[in-house]
Amino acid sequence: MPLLQQAVALIIIICFLFRAAVQKKKNEISATEFRLWLAFWLLAALAVIFLKRIDQMLQALGFSLSGISFLFYLGVIALFYLVFRLRLSLAKLDRQLTEIARQIALQHKK
Amino acid sequence: MKIACVIPAWNEAKNIAKVIADVRPYVQETIVVDDCSSDDTAALAGAAGAVVLRHPINRGQGAALQTGNDYALAQGAEIIVHFDGDDQFRATEIPAMTAPIADDRADIVFGSRFLGRQTNFPPLKRYLIMPLAKLFNRVFLGIQLSDPQCGFRAFNRRAATATKIMNREWAHNSEIQSNAFRAGLRIMELPVTVVYHRFGLPLSAGFQVIKDLLIHKIIK
Repeated sequence: MPLLQQAVALIIIICFLFRAAVQKKKNEISATEFRLWLAFWLLAALAVIFLKRIDQMLQALGFSLSGISFLFYLGVIALFYLVFRLRLSLAKLDRQLTEIARQIALQHKK
Repeated sequence: MKIACVIPAWNEAKNIAKVIADVRPYVQETIVVDDCSSDDTAALAGAAGAVVLRHPINRGQGAALQTGNDYALAQGAEIIVHFDGDDQFRATEIPAMTAPIADDRADIVFGSRFLGRQTNFPPLKRYLIMPLAKLFNRVFLGIQLSDPQCGFRAFNRRAATATKIMNREWAHNSEIQSNAFRAGLRIMELPVTVVYHRFGLPLSAGFQVIKDLLIHKIIK
């Protein structure tokens, strides 16, 4: 990845880090959530800075894909996982909603 | 014996009064669970002499049946019958469905549309959707019954408690059958008559059922 692209990627990451800090300051996100985002964006920054090292590491392990492709696949897997978790938490909420609706029906018999 | 009939209903204003009138001679209590209909289902059911429980938001047939079961159990019902609100079943068959429970020969009786009684099954349903659903139930849920999706069934108190419905939409049919086998209940299947007035669930609903059963397993 040329230096310019790396610089742009780092600027974007800094913007997101700044945004997370502002949200934390305004109490829009919890301390735990802030720490999670902080860790995520710092890891992303490290991956961008040491992209060549990742290339070398993958080659040493016998993979033909480049570091940036590896990060991309990793991102897709992470997204699938997040969507799955989201689906499960929605299902739990849906179940709780059903229980409330049922209780209201039982309490208001006509 | 106190027999209660639970009828889940969503926008069934056209049929509900007739269904209640048909059912009432055979049961002590008729419970209509109105799943937030936008028509006059609840008012018509009340006027026809049923106890009406109304969901404030639409939650699906499985949720409505469980609401009805909870109410019937709380009221001391000894036999609970599930019966559809769209006039597709014959109320005259209720005594035959409840007799094995009253005689203590079964805990739960499932109606079956595949045991010889007259049905006007749409061919797609008879030859594709139902065999696939039956195969799925047999392979993945260990259910050995001839009808995977019949909504006409009867429970004693033990069975109604052991088969609590968690799937709020269409997966409840398979869920009830699966729970009945798992709880070691005495299960019986009897032929029932079905007269379809509309096609009912499409093939896509089958995939929804599989998805719901899977998610339910994960978040259990």
